[in-house]
Amino acid sequence: MAIYMNVYLLLFLPLTLLVYGVAPREKRWLVLLCASWFMYATLSRWLLLLLIATEAWTWGMGLWLDRLRQQCEAQVGELKQSGISGAELRTARTECRQRFRTRRLRVLLLGILVLLGILFYVQYYNFAAQNLNSLLSRLSLKLPVVKVLFPMGISFYTLEAVGYLADIYWERLEADRHFGRLALFLSFFPQIMEGPIARYQDTADQLFSGEPLRMDSLNEGFLRILVGLFKKMVISDRLSYLVNPMFAEYQKYHGSLVVLMAVAYTVQLYCEFSGSIDIVIGSGRLFGIELPENFRQPFSAQSPAEFWRRWHMSLGTWFKNYVFYPVTTSSFVKNLNKTLRKKYKKHGKYISMAATSAAALLPVWLATGIWHGAGWQYVFYGLYYFVILLAGVLLESFKAWRNQRLHIPENAVWLRVLRTLKTWVIVFIGELFFNAKSLLAGFHMFFSIFEDFHISDIWLHLPPKITRGEIMVIIAGSILVWIAGFMKENGKDIRKGVLEAGFPVRWAAYYVLIFTILLFGAYGAGYQAVDLIYAGF
Amino acid sequence: MDRLLEILREIDDTVDYEKETALIDDHILDSFGIITLIAEIEDAFDIEVEAAEMTPENFNSAQAMWRMIQRLQES
Repeated sequence: MAIYMNVYLLLFLPLTLLVYGVAPREKRWLVLLCASWFMYATLSRWLLLLLIATEAWTWGMGLWLDRLRQQCEAQVGELKQSGISGAELRTARTECRQRFRTRRLRVLLLGILVLLGILFYVQYYNFAAQNLNSLLSRLSLKLPVVKVLFPMGISFYTLEAVGYLADIYWERLEADRHFGRLALFLSFFPQIMEGPIARYQDTADQLFSGEPLRMDSLNEGFLRILVGLFKKMVISDRLSYLVNPMFAEYQKYHGSLVVLMAVAYTVQLYCEFSGSIDIVIGSGRLFGIELPENFRQPFSAQSPAEFWRRWHMSLGTWFKNYVFYPVTTSSFVKNLNKTLRKKYKKHGKYISMAATSAAALLPVWLATGIWHGAGWQYVFYGLYYFVILLAGVLLESFKAWRNQRLHIPENAVWLRVLRTLKTWVIVFIGELFFNAKSLLAGFHMFFSIFEDFHISDIWLHLPPKITRGEIMVIIAGSILVWIAGFMKENGKDIRKGVLEAGFPVRWAAYYVLIFTILLFGAYGAGYQAVDLIYAGF
Repeated sequence: MDRLLEILREIDDTVDYEKETALIDDHILDSFGIITLIAEIEDAFDIEVEAAEMTPENFNSAQAMWRMIQRLQES
């Protein structure tokens, strides 16, 4: 049962809402937890036990970290009362804290290693084994390739669990003593397949509090789900009949058709992922829960860096908090920074900024690439953005100098449009590699753009399963989504406007969306349900 | 505080740091600005900024940064 299916939308979700609504407030968290575990069992069957074991492990490790913090505080308190004072007390206190810090770090590393170990085994073991086997073939060493069952959502709930433990280690939060609250945070049913990746501080209490159902939240959630279904069923699922066959037989296409593939896949991915997130956030809103946003009009971005602050925001925030900042504040990066500043007095600041940015960005983008899947095309995808973002940082001063010299106003409309278009091109190329069967296929497609580029080829060589009428529906739908995004970017939120407009407008919007989805959605005879793309990562 | 404002203005002189309270939340100070800022304030105030301190609450305004610097100097 996935979040876009009828069984979820017409049966599971209303039934859960009903039971939640009639249950006593203090038991509502239990309704959500049982519903979450039930839904997970429908997705991954017995791997539900792995999810529960992961939750129990995270809960236990969190308590252990907290216990060590309490022991440290108690010992520091005892030192104060022991009669020593001044410098002696300060030294004793620092030594005590340092001792406990080392112990806490070991516990944190153990907790994280087990969590990431499971993720690595499930996602990357076979990829690593195959690559090592080809490297070590001369040594007659062979790692077995195994059949691994994929626990749904493991990439998402593992990151949430790691973030939870890291925040306890950094004393940003206290460990949760209530297993049910933590388990619900890690397995809340709308989020489990595709995120968004939440922080414990942001959602755990909301999920547990059992807020009563409210009409405004129900309306908000319902509208958001309909918008998500529109994006997924009318645009993305229909586009899959264009995109999937073309990527499967990429050797047949070149020139303008490869450009079409890159653009079409980007639109498909955006409408699919942001549409699914709309359904997820809408499902949460029905229960009065606010989940973090994952998209903020990414195609309005004027640079690749800004694009990533607007696209899959919860993943970006996670990597920033738990990879980028720890690397930036690590002794290696700090020492590198200081050494370069001393060594290169004249341009020290620039050189050290470039070197530290590179050192901090490389693990972030490598991890971002690999997080999406086991394949060299994903590694390339991460490194592609690493190089582009680093170049953006290094060229920042040059761009400012150029604009000043040529008297180009920073906010000129033509410059903004040009920057947006440049960002689009970078994103389209990235997605071409991202959806390639392999890295080699990615390069083949990329270089074939420059062969026989004829716009007229597009209509002649489209896959037979997609008609011109369907393409018109996709284009019209995409324009509507773009207009809504453009208006929101300029301070006019259509969804908010509909909700505030009152009963007739709201219901008119519901009916328009429902009938549009029923009339133009890709479903029924001749169509197959299209799996969630990000649920596979 | 004046030294901190000076450092911030060296990173980006178009921001009114005495009034701005969402430097991180509104992405006024980006990740690369943060890298430079940490190096500068560690040198200027003889402190060590660790990963645990890297929260929006500590970097959203010059006042918040100043409070963090004072706290780290005392500890």
